[in-house]
Amino acid sequence: MENSHVRDAMHTPTETEGSAAAMGAKIQAQGTNVHYGDKHALKDVTLDIRAGEVTSFIGPSGCGKSTFLRCLNRMNDTIDGCRVSGTVMMDGEDIYDPKIDVVQLRARVGMVFQKPNPFPKSIYDNIAYGPRIHGLAANKDELDEMVVTSLEKAGLLAEVKDRMDSPGTGLSGGQQQRLCIARAIAINPEVILMDEPCSALDPIATAKIEELIDELRENYTIVIVTHSMQQAARVSQRTAFFHLGELIEVGDTEQIFTNPRHKLTQGYITGRFG
Amino acid sequence: MSELTVKSGQGGARTRELVAAGIGKRYRAERRFRIFGLVAIVSALVFMALLFASIIGKGYTAFVQTEIRLPISYDVAVIDPEGVRDAAEMRRANYGKLYRDGIQSLFPEVEGRTDRRLLNGLVSSGATFEIRDAVIDSPDLIGKKGEIWVPAADDVDMLVKGRIDRNEPENTRRVSDKEIAWVDALQKDGRLETRFNWRFFTQGDSREPELAGIWGAVAGSFLTMLVTLLLSFPLGVATAVYLEEFAPKNRWTDIIEVNINNLAAIPSIVFGLLGLAVFLQFFGLPRSAPLVGGLVLTLMTLPTIIIAARVSLKSVPPSIREAALGLGASKMQMVTNDVLPLAMPGILTGTIIGMGRALGETAPLLMIGMVAFIVDIPHGFTDPATALPVQIYIWADSAERAFVERTSAAIMVLLAFLIVMNAAAVILRSRFERRW
Ligand SMILES: Nc1ncnc2c1ncn2[C@@H]1O[C@H](COP(=O)(O)OP(=O)(O)O)[C@@H](O)[C@H]1O
Ligand SMILES: [Mg+2]
Repeated sequence: MENSHVRDAMHTPTETEGSAAAMGAKIQAQGTNVHYGDKHALKDVTLDIRAGEVTSFIGPSGCGKSTFLRCLNRMNDTIDGCRVSGTVMMDGEDIYDPKIDVVQLRARVGMVFQKPNPFPKSIYDNIAYGPRIHGLAANKDELDEMVVTSLEKAGLLAEVKDRMDSPGTGLSGGQQQRLCIARAIAINPEVILMDEPCSALDPIATAKIEELIDELRENYTIVIVTHSMQQAARVSQRTAFFHLGELIEVGDTEQIFTNPRHKLTQGYITGRFG
Repeated sequence: MSELTVKSGQGGARTRELVAAGIGKRYRAERRFRIFGLVAIVSALVFMALLFASIIGKGYTAFVQTEIRLPISYDVAVIDPEGVRDAAEMRRANYGKLYRDGIQSLFPEVEGRTDRRLLNGLVSSGATFEIRDAVIDSPDLIGKKGEIWVPAADDVDMLVKGRIDRNEPENTRRVSDKEIAWVDALQKDGRLETRFNWRFFTQGDSREPELAGIWGAVAGSFLTMLVTLLLSFPLGVATAVYLEEFAPKNRWTDIIEVNINNLAAIPSIVFGLLGLAVFLQFFGLPRSAPLVGGLVLTLMTLPTIIIAARVSLKSVPPSIREAALGLGASKMQMVTNDVLPLAMPGILTGTIIGMGRALGETAPLLMIGMVAFIVDIPHGFTDPATALPVQIYIWADSAERAFVERTSAAIMVLLAFLIVMNAAAVILRSRFERRW
């Protein structure tokens, strides 16, 4: 019942989509649907992610934010029984085209997960992992430099530079998450996807990550899923609101939080449900 | 407000009462459970202690062997009548005569064929080889006189070790009063000693207990286990990795999974029959060969390794796979770089448990002829061989009293190997263990 109500609401155009390409869309999703077996988890989502901006996905839990995020680097391919339809274009290329190699795609679209997941290896080896599997460094010196610059960019270098050989799993939660970000940027991706990167962290560590996201925006297109509306307001320029597998509204963050067009969005950001 | 407090106060009192009423029962149940647990553990330990005491008590004497020092005159006429010093020729000489002359010279008073034969019987026929080897080693002995330690016959050995009761009436005793007198005389002269039984650790099987050794069986077991390990470890791990990481989850993989689990529960003798039908009769591989034994034990061990490997692959946290895939690792890179190293402790433990079971397995080896009486030490995968547990079975089945202690000693050797393997499992596990 509720579904049909939401579906009706969808017919009102949420945004002036035509202008998106002009604004420099990095990724364009067109009518993306995701099924987990029989479950229709993501319904007909059309959304542009703009280059050089932070886009945040908000919405009640189970609404499909992570599912959509995983469409963007085809991590859904790894889930048994998951089917994706529709098109997702990146720089004008369909990433679901059979000609596209997922390994190459994931080198261009990095990902940071909800729970920090460093490898049970040294800090150095964690960062060097991506460059090694893709063969990015010609020699040891080059690799060393990549590791150092990645840690530098992730704002972690000062804290770990004299224990590069100690295990990455021995760091604090916030440090581990920044290690994962450093690991992702070591292969110099164009887009970084972050799925609730701060949900397991304390407020101080969260503040550090948010600061980092703001710095990274200069060089990378960032998409972040968050359950915290304050965080979305703080770090993102654009915000998309999902509900029950549908994209309800997308717009400039300021507009979404001050002047939402849709009733559901309004209800969610004022805390009436969530 | 005050009413509310009073009410909740009453409710609290009621709860406390109910809890107090039931608490004794709860503690009694816990105490009962703890006592059951203790009883179970103590009885298990007692049975284990009894088992070890019985095996060690019966078997420790097999590690020494009674030997007799004989005066030998290395007669040219017997060893090398043509005087050519040809080793092959000298091997064929009648060394039996030399040791018999030796023991006769110690008891010149013994007359008559029967008694002389009895006297000769104190010395093991293995003395022949002892003297032969001494002569081949240093041919200058020829024409001289010397003393040499040779093994005593099994009955003498049993008598000296106290396994034959001197107080038993002579007609039911394995050794006669005469023989006892000779043995005592030898002992008094310092010509009879128990010495470390190196033959037990270096020789193959023999019909004579005093000459029988475990080494043939150890070598056979080693070759068999090597075949088993080399086949079942890579095959098992590859199967588990494929099923766990690559295969689609559908009806077919479910059927395969069920079948693998069933295979693990099949009695081992069935694998022996399968090996007989397939490897021996169809492929025509040699009987009694470690190669075939290893193949059969591989069939038996594979399910164990596959199941253990799948369980440990499953227990690798999915976040590690996500991390690798998210960085653009291919599935193969993910498996070899990240998943397998984390699963390795579990896989190795499973493998060693499987190998331990295979090492102790007898039934399937009986079916493919590894139960034959084999004297020579096997040197290759197709040489006829037997295995440790089969050797134990053969000796346990032998009539001679002296095989009893050898059976127990062989069991000790087998247990020692199993303990070493388990220790290896513990060490490997702690070496590979990493936190995530
Ligand atoms: N691997 C999966 N298998 C089946 N259903 C899934 C799977 N992952 C997510 N779902 C379902 O899809 C819906 C959207 O999930 P998700 O994208 O994780 O939501 P969220 O917005 O909280 O990130 C949920 O109803 C969830 O139950
Ligand atoms: Mg989520």
